[in-house]
Amino acid sequence: MFKVIGIICILIGCVGWGNMRIRQERERIRHLHTMRHILERIRTEIAYGKHTLPEICLMLTEINDICYRNCFQRISEASAANGSGLPELWKAEFQAFLKNQPLQEEERELFARLPDRLGFQEETGQAESIGRLEAFLAQKAGQAEEGCENKTKMIRSVSILTGLLLTIWLL
Amino acid sequence: MCEEEILRLFPEKIRGRWREVAGQAEKLQEIRLRAGRPLTILVDGKERFVDPGGRIVDRQEAAARQESAELEEILRHLCQYSIYAFADEIRQGFLTVQGGHRIGLAGQALLDGENRIVNLKYIRYLNIRIAHQVKGAADPLIPLLYERGRVVSTLLISPPGGGKTTMLRDIIRQISNGTAYGRGINVSVVDERSEIAGSFLGIAQNDVGIRTDVLDGCSKVEGMMRLIRAMSPQALAVDELGGIEDMQALRMANGCGCRLLATIHGGSLEEVLRKNFMRYAVEEGLFERYVVLDRAAGAWGIEGVYDREGKPCLR
Repeated sequence: MFKVIGIICILIGCVGWGNMRIRQERERIRHLHTMRHILERIRTEIAYGKHTLPEICLMLTEINDICYRNCFQRISEASAANGSGLPELWKAEFQAFLKNQPLQEEERELFARLPDRLGFQEETGQAESIGRLEAFLAQKAGQAEEGCENKTKMIRSVSILTGLLLTIWLL
Repeated sequence: MCEEEILRLFPEKIRGRWREVAGQAEKLQEIRLRAGRPLTILVDGKERFVDPGGRIVDRQEAAARQESAELEEILRHLCQYSIYAFADEIRQGFLTVQGGHRIGLAGQALLDGENRIVNLKYIRYLNIRIAHQVKGAADPLIPLLYERGRVVSTLLISPPGGGKTTMLRDIIRQISNGTAYGRGINVSVVDERSEIAGSFLGIAQNDVGIRTDVLDGCSKVEGMMRLIRAMSPQALAVDELGGIEDMQALRMANGCGCRLLATIHGGSLEEVLRKNFMRYAVEEGLFERYVVLDRAAGAWGIEGVYDREGKPCLR
């Protein structure tokens, strides 16, 4: 009886680990899409509205993703409260937030260090520079989506197989 | 205006140095930053300096020198780290920040084939002009700006730094809210340099009255006609007339029945009326009052008020 319960627990554990990895991969794709969407919004606000970074942050407090929305809310509040330098607030906020997200280092850095790229003296050039980052994230998201199905199958197979092997070994 | 507003003009890491200067907010007129030169301020009409510890001193030898890198950081901060959003202002050589403070810029000009400035680079000189809203500044003038309960078209004259914009702002506020001499009227303001209303995110930071509409950041010529069509104002206010185009737009506005409130640089009424583009104003009697302002010994006041023929109403 205990052996059967043990086998079930091991199998559930391994499948659960597999599912967690799959969910992380999907979560990464979601983050990439959200970040791309935010960059797109920033690009259009710069190109067509010529808005400043604090104004854009204020507008982004209305985006759908609650995690990013909260970050922009905190940045806007801190900036409005004491007029602190927005690049520092942005970096600190997003470095802390993205650290715990299933993203690659270069993806995190690209987004967290975005204000460093806002030194252009003219809005078209500035928008184009952000457009390049947006294209990079779109490419990353595309690659991740393409590989996601195969990766999901592989992780699922490996997790079940690991569970079976562990069971056989422990028996 | 409070100390905090002055401190916010500077990046957080150097605010400590400007704390004592910010403490003089009410009397502070200008902060001049020049790369490699002493930090200079103008307080109550008197030039003073800031030493490395942030203390205000009278001797320039004791003053701290402005570093170029720090100057660039200040400029980025003033542009809210979004230089692209201020490209037009930088090209024109000034920008206006939250609170209506005007930042004058100088450096190396980049010219196009027709010798027009297309951009400024190596910006090494900043002149931060502190805007003050002085409610009640126009009190002595208000009785003279009404005739039979109606506001009369008025031109304010003074040299740079003479208090024209401050006076205009208070006149707008008072005639918009209504005074003992006449009821409140709709006033439209073309705030080309965001100095009158000091708009931020489209909202006037200065009190310009309850019946005032502001078109911010728009050229006077285009803005005046647009406001007349869109907002049907009873009075139209603009700052710093500077050419024949402005005068033609004012004539059109006058033809639409709007009262005009405007300012112009000049040392005296005679000097202003000698300007070529002012010919129309005189011939057509565009302004019914000319107010000459004077800034002597740090305090500004009214030097004289004249009617459309140039006869004194108050001297």
